[in-house]
Amino acid sequence: MKQLTVICVLLSFFGFSQSMNFQNSAMRQLSNLENSENRITLGGYGEINFNGYDGAPNEIDVQRLVLLFAYKFDDRTQFVTEVEYEHVQEVYVEQAFVNYNITDNLNARAGLMLVPMGIINEYHEGPTFNGVERPSLDDTIIPTTWREIGFGIAGRSNELSFRYQLYAMNGFVSFNDDNYILIGSDGLRKGRQKGAESVNSDINISAKIEYYGLPNIRFGLAAYSGKTQTTDLDNAATQVGLTMLGADYRYTKGRFSSRGQWAQTRLKDVAAYNAAGNKDLGSTMGGYYIEGAYNLLPLTNRQRLDIFVRYEDFDTHKKTAGGMTANPAYHRKETTVGFSYHLAPGVVFKGDYQNKKTAASDDVIGQLNFGVGFFF
Amino acid sequence: MKIFSPSFFLLSIKVSLVSLVFSLQVSKKAEREISKVFEIEQAVLVQTLEQDMPGIDQDRLYTVFDQGQALGYAYVGEASSQTDTFEYLVIFDTNFTVKKAKVLVYREDYGSEIGSKRWLKQFLDKTPDDRFAYRQNIAAISGATISVKSMTNAMNNLMISLASWQNNGEPNKS
Repeated sequence: MKQLTVICVLLSFFGFSQSMNFQNSAMRQLSNLENSENRITLGGYGEINFNGYDGAPNEIDVQRLVLLFAYKFDDRTQFVTEVEYEHVQEVYVEQAFVNYNITDNLNARAGLMLVPMGIINEYHEGPTFNGVERPSLDDTIIPTTWREIGFGIAGRSNELSFRYQLYAMNGFVSFNDDNYILIGSDGLRKGRQKGAESVNSDINISAKIEYYGLPNIRFGLAAYSGKTQTTDLDNAATQVGLTMLGADYRYTKGRFSSRGQWAQTRLKDVAAYNAAGNKDLGSTMGGYYIEGAYNLLPLTNRQRLDIFVRYEDFDTHKKTAGGMTANPAYHRKETTVGFSYHLAPGVVFKGDYQNKKTAASDDVIGQLNFGVGFFF
Repeated sequence: MKIFSPSFFLLSIKVSLVSLVFSLQVSKKAEREISKVFEIEQAVLVQTLEQDMPGIDQDRLYTVFDQGQALGYAYVGEASSQTDTFEYLVIFDTNFTVKKAKVLVYREDYGSEIGSKRWLKQFLDKTPDDRFAYRQNIAAISGATISVKSMTNAMNNLMISLASWQNNGEPNKS
């Protein structure tokens, strides 16, 4: 990532002149200039995509444009934020947290953070994954980009090649202003609060461990557990309990790469929730995807041209509660074939064809996608 | 290239990295690791170069002495991670064969996997004649691409600089 030193912007942006009581702004500016190297980082990433649908109008969209700012107060204390524009006009704060480095192996952090689950939720910059669109599993089962406000610890061990994260976080909202929010087709997705005036009634716990001690491959294992949030604390039927488990791997060797992910969520008290809200939320949802890619260009080439194929199988009605019949249309199977042409490190041009069907019929829906992604 | 004589460096104030360009944290870790690798109590470090060389600043390369004898060299480098920089240490024997590569201070979470002992082992026993290339002879770490590339390039450039220095008749491999 490119590091820029922007003292003037920094001073006005972070308002240091007001926060320093033993230096005036000019003194502060001078000492900042002395130590300015690498204190502030600007970065960004984005995706601009074309989606061509079977029997429906095409769509062209600046899907997301994210601006990253990081500021280093000292060697131990860092603030990181990402401001995201979705579809040009929706503005979100995707991350905003303070990280405090306690020891080499232990950091404390607090703020708006990404939930560590699966691959894409934490690593979703366009050039880091194949396919114009993120895997559908990372939309429906793991509702990326999934972030909530919380606090916790993170770190790693160089000896054991092991990374860990453990957070207490706010969770999905299931009931707000007389509305039951969670539905069968996309499970928890509509319950994401994104840190915006979010409802909090119960603390959720999120954890992930990753192992990268074998050459070329890394493994991840994640768990998330708690209850959904409600504005009606007296009505138990407005909440469900949930436990999500995720496992993933990423493999890279020479010109070949592969990744895969499995995730499953079990929900409790779903029958009462569905009955109270007239919803069709499933009680178990989950699935997997697996992907392989091969770089057609020599490894000595600065550019990379990966061709890939991905297969996904996931179901938000894997199990249902209260005698509800599972909806076969919620069991989805998708195959994506395409290419990722990495023009330069950090810039990718992508194209793919997706073949989507459900267990409800043999009908296949095709989708053609093209996009550019960048990350700096 | 002249290495300071023992009588000179014992008097020199530059026997510790702490007094030099590095932070206390970086210096302490570097000194501890150097002593560990050479199995000595307290390494005496003297700047190897009298002036900056192409690709190697004089305050980054040190000759490691113990009881008046040169045991090898230590290089403390800096490279970029995603939003910050990190310091790394490369310890060489007297022939500039890598005995150890270690990340001393890494300041963010993303990319911190490059500190993995397992990954850094790839640089062991390499010489200035070796070249490193990401995904060719140096394994990738998914999720740490920026730092892995950065460290790989830094190590590669260091070897190129050392090789050209050696080819110009330096250093004195005493």
